[in-house]
Amino acid sequence: MNDLFNVPVFGVSITLAAYFFAINLRKKWNYVLLNPVLISVAVIIIFLLIFNIDFETYNIGGKYISFFLGPSVVALGVFFYEKYEEVKENLKVFLVAVFTGGIFGIISIIGFLILMNIPEVLIRSLAAKSVTTPIAIEISKLVAGTPEITAGMVIAVGIFGNAFGPYILKKLGISNKLAIGAALGTAAHGIGTARAFEEGKLPGVYSGLAMCINGIITALVTPYLLQLFLGNFT
Amino acid sequence: MLKGLLYIFGFLIAGELLTRLFNLPVAGNIIGMLLIFIALKLKIIKLKDVKPASDQLIKYLVVFFIPYGVGLMVYFKLIAEYWIPLSLGLVFSSILSLYISGIILQKFGK
Repeated sequence: MNDLFNVPVFGVSITLAAYFFAINLRKKWNYVLLNPVLISVAVIIIFLLIFNIDFETYNIGGKYISFFLGPSVVALGVFFYEKYEEVKENLKVFLVAVFTGGIFGIISIIGFLILMNIPEVLIRSLAAKSVTTPIAIEISKLVAGTPEITAGMVIAVGIFGNAFGPYILKKLGISNKLAIGAALGTAAHGIGTARAFEEGKLPGVYSGLAMCINGIITALVTPYLLQLFLGNFT
Repeated sequence: MLKGLLYIFGFLIAGELLTRLFNLPVAGNIIGMLLIFIALKLKIIKLKDVKPASDQLIKYLVVFFIPYGVGLMVYFKLIAEYWIPLSLGLVFSSILSLYISGIILQKFGK
């Protein structure tokens, strides 16, 4: 029985089944904590714990699914090309906004965690917390973080931005929908972008583009910022 | 669809190759993303050829990172030990990032 779990099809099937379950749950109750990724991850972890299956066994199949993250990042380049015309009139301001917000996001999390005396591996894993998961995972690998921790925290940030982002922004005096879109994409990547689309199509496009641009910026500067704050990794 | 996938994998390999050749501190797929954007902009490849494949990949993007999310279970103890400062940091830094991007676009955008 136990070697059934050792075939790749186990990890693949349970992932698809959990996701299928999660999106149906979301259709039934549209509640932010019922984020499909969060629910899928929770369902799979509970299943693995109940049947005493370790992560490595699950990942025999799981890695066939995560393999597609690589080409998905390339696909974001296509999305970017398709949509960037729509921000043309605001392009310069938009780039400055995303760049500044993105950089402050990285520096503030690194600085805060250093002040709190958090272990270095966690700081390295969280530096890219604002960008889309596939890019964050690559950054994390590159800077000697732990990609699994990165993925979990990035999803948490996305859910936070999705649930509270527009509310916080409005409280802070930001009412412009395009500004809300750009902010959500910069700080809360794809999950934030889903929320930006609820504000309107153009805010959604702004958010998607902000996500791509902040992904590139963060990928380029994070290794250097970490080196600056923490020194070389071994 | 197949042609689109072939292009996407082609740019991915090109990205991986460039990162290795020049020892770049950036992941190959990010270089691949930049390359495919440039290729589309310079009209080396056509949007309609890659779009069917890229739309599908983006549609199911969230599924692809589920296994990494599950991997979090291995680090449960470490996260549990530091969850308060971690959550505070994530919330503080996210609000800062949201605010700065938002205020710049609102003040100076059209």
